[in-house]
Amino acid sequence: MNDFNQQWQRCVARARQSPPRDDTAPFGFATRVLASGWPTLEPPPVEHTWERLALGWLACLVAGLAVCAVLELPHLRDSQPLNPGVENTVAQIVWRL
Amino acid sequence: MRTEESDLTPLLTRVREQDEDAARALVEALHPLVIRIVRSHLPLRTAEEDLAQEVFVKLFSRLHQYAARADIPFHHWVSRLAVRTCLDALRAERRRPEWRWGDLPEAEAAWLEFMLADEASPPEADAASAREVVDKLLEQLSPDDRLTLTLLDLEQRSVKEIAQLTGWSGTRVKVRAFRARRKLRALAETLKAREHYE
Repeated sequence: MNDFNQQWQRCVARARQSPPRDDTAPFGFATRVLASGWPTLEPPPVEHTWERLALGWLACLVAGLAVCAVLELPHLRDSQPLNPGVENTVAQIVWRL
Repeated sequence: MRTEESDLTPLLTRVREQDEDAARALVEALHPLVIRIVRSHLPLRTAEEDLAQEVFVKLFSRLHQYAARADIPFHHWVSRLAVRTCLDALRAERRRPEWRWGDLPEAEAAWLEFMLADEASPPEADAASAREVVDKLLEQLSPDDRLTLTLLDLEQRSVKEIAQLTGWSGTRVKVRAFRARRKLRALAETLKAREHYE
């Protein structure tokens, strides 16, 4: 029975002597790499900052409106839902005075 | 010729400052290292240039991770990235090539015969045919086995170095190499037996 490992190593040693291939980057390779994978780590432009801030404010506004709607919902079926209760209260207080 | 680590330091600094010319120079400098790894672990249906490009794209997108671990030499970090990318590509390739003894040119068949026989002297065949037959045999192995034998036997890297590149333990590398060589032997014997049967 032969020693396969030893013969394998001798074949591999001979394989290592094969002439090296050209390993310089082909023309345009670096440009292609940069075109597909160059990260955009630059700080974002001012427009993007304003856009982000505006979106934030818009979200706050929508949330505020939603809260108002939820608070007003139980009074939807009132006879005069648009009459502000605080004015009535004030009027009553004034009437009593 | 391999670019020294110190040569790359100013280049890396400029790349981090978004200097495209420096990035281009870095690709040119690292291409020999990357392409050698890619050629050794190339899946059948993938062009070596495409896989090398994938390695570089990953390199630029993860360069900030290297900055945080400056104790690791940059070449080592790039090698590890390239090896892992190739391993992923090999694992994604499900089918392995099939060939018969009869398909081999005479010089390659002589090398295969030499591996299985008790002949003391290797065949007169050239180194290129030895390389061909070694590559053909390695392609038959699983990606992990192929990677281990390529790094250990063909590239003559140490077990410690392979463990660092792959993230495996030294024992795992040794055991995998032992089993992979046993599989190679079984593979060569099966090919020979089939040849005689046919």
